[in-house]
Amino acid sequence: MITVEGLTKKYGSTIAVDSLSFTVKPGRVTGFLGPNGSGKSTTMRCMIGLDRVQSGTALFDGKLYQELKKPLHEVGTLLDAGNAHSGRTARNHLRWLAMSNGMSPKRVDEVLELVGLIDVAKKRVGQFSLGMKQRLGLAAVLLGDPKVVILDEPANGLDPEGIRWIREMLKHLASQGRSVLVSSHLLSEMALMADDLIVIGKGRLITECTVSDFIDQYAKKWVVVKSPQLDSLVSLAQGQGMHISLGEGVAEFHGVEAATIGELAATNNVVLHELSTQTGSLEDAFLEVTADAVQYHGHAETQSNGVAS
Amino acid sequence: MIALIRSEWLKLRTVRSNITMACFAVILPLAITLLTTAFIDVDSVGDRAVSAVLLGSGSLSVLLFGIIGVLAITQEYSQGTIRLTLAANPRRIRAYVAKGIVLAILSSGLAAFIILVGNTAGEAILDSRGAVGKLSNGDMGQAYLALIAMSILVSLLGMAIGTLTRNPPSAVTVLVLWPLLIESLLAGLLTEVISEEAYKWLPFQRGLNALLLEDRDMDFGRWGSVGYFGLWILGVSLFALAGFKRRDA
Repeated sequence: MITVEGLTKKYGSTIAVDSLSFTVKPGRVTGFLGPNGSGKSTTMRCMIGLDRVQSGTALFDGKLYQELKKPLHEVGTLLDAGNAHSGRTARNHLRWLAMSNGMSPKRVDEVLELVGLIDVAKKRVGQFSLGMKQRLGLAAVLLGDPKVVILDEPANGLDPEGIRWIREMLKHLASQGRSVLVSSHLLSEMALMADDLIVIGKGRLITECTVSDFIDQYAKKWVVVKSPQLDSLVSLAQGQGMHISLGEGVAEFHGVEAATIGELAATNNVVLHELSTQTGSLEDAFLEVTADAVQYHGHAETQSNGVAS
Repeated sequence: MIALIRSEWLKLRTVRSNITMACFAVILPLAITLLTTAFIDVDSVGDRAVSAVLLGSGSLSVLLFGIIGVLAITQEYSQGTIRLTLAANPRRIRAYVAKGIVLAILSSGLAAFIILVGNTAGEAILDSRGAVGKLSNGDMGQAYLALIAMSILVSLLGMAIGTLTRNPPSAVTVLVLWPLLIESLLAGLLTEVISEEAYKWLPFQRGLNALLLEDRDMDFGRWGSVGYFGLWILGVSLFALAGFKRRDA
């Protein structure tokens, strides 16, 4: 269990993390979301004492990270896959880590096997692709068989097979009762692997809930209707003040339940070919909830007139 | 602590640039000593010729041990492994001390090796050429021990400077320019402004004096000089350690 309480980190006058509090429960994968520059990586660094905080604490089963005698047995972290000496072999990279926490060299080969790097154990890390470095980073996380796992963008650089592998791995780790905190920009992946979400913006907590609650609360919902008498139904609905957007042979009703449309159609003998409720994705919900917290906006140019939309 | 020291030793010896620098630090004084003893005019050789050459060239090794000290810590910052090091050992003072112990053992071991091989081989070469060198001179033994002590201290200085700058080129520049340029300039300035004796208080001026065969020009004596230099290293190391403990990794 991770308990973060009132964590605050400032760089000069800039507040990177602002009184942030959340918990990460055992047995669950908790997604850590936020726009670029929202303070996710800084929070993770502060949690394990790499960056000094102005105030607040991060406790791992009730203990500060600095109080852990052999921390790799308690908390496994992957903050940046590039944090490995390019001139050292994969095996030696893990060996010094293992040695520092009193682990046997045998364990090194076990985790190399587990992440699929045993055949390249004697290769220098500098020759690794980003995906291989991510796997090596995950091997370092697993080295001490920790109860808590913290990963910052672990799917970066992985191919689809690798992304699926890491998803299954994290779900497996959580199923063993471990607390898993993972940040990722791949929201579709997050939707597949996370049970809970912590969403931050500008260093502050926006929301902390389950993935399904998050989507229920923040994603837009609308009702899709197909009917041979669509015009009649639309006229009737507009008469009742409903907000409708029309497509080709399809109408989308916003802010209204499917049952209401169904009853309206039945009362007026309108034949329906489709009546379904649509819900926005995690991405839609995320964009909705963090709209005010995005620091760096991009602008797409339209092909026709080149004006930013 | 033993586990930490073993881990730091593994880190140090599994990077090629560290091995290259260590080889260079060993080969350089040995090559100079052996070549000198092989080609020097035997009629003009004094009874401590081997020691004089070995100690002179050994002072270059001392500086190279300092560069190993620089690399040991700055590599961690340039390659990002400092975050793993501190994640594995969040008690930062212990992590720093373990690295320092490994550097001290390495530099003292290599310095002792240089002395043993250089002296033995140099004496053998001079013997074979009909010259006679003395191994049993008391001063010479003391100077050799001072070389070992200076090797340890300068490697720790390199580590401290590297910790402060976190950048290999700037740390190496500071380490090399300090004895070779900065102290020379300061010596001139202090002589002009304060007194002719003032330059003696510069750390490298005094520390390297401990490597002279004759115990001359030493207000503190050989070990006083080493101790004075050691106090400077202690000061710089404490300053570096305070930053290492406080700054974000």
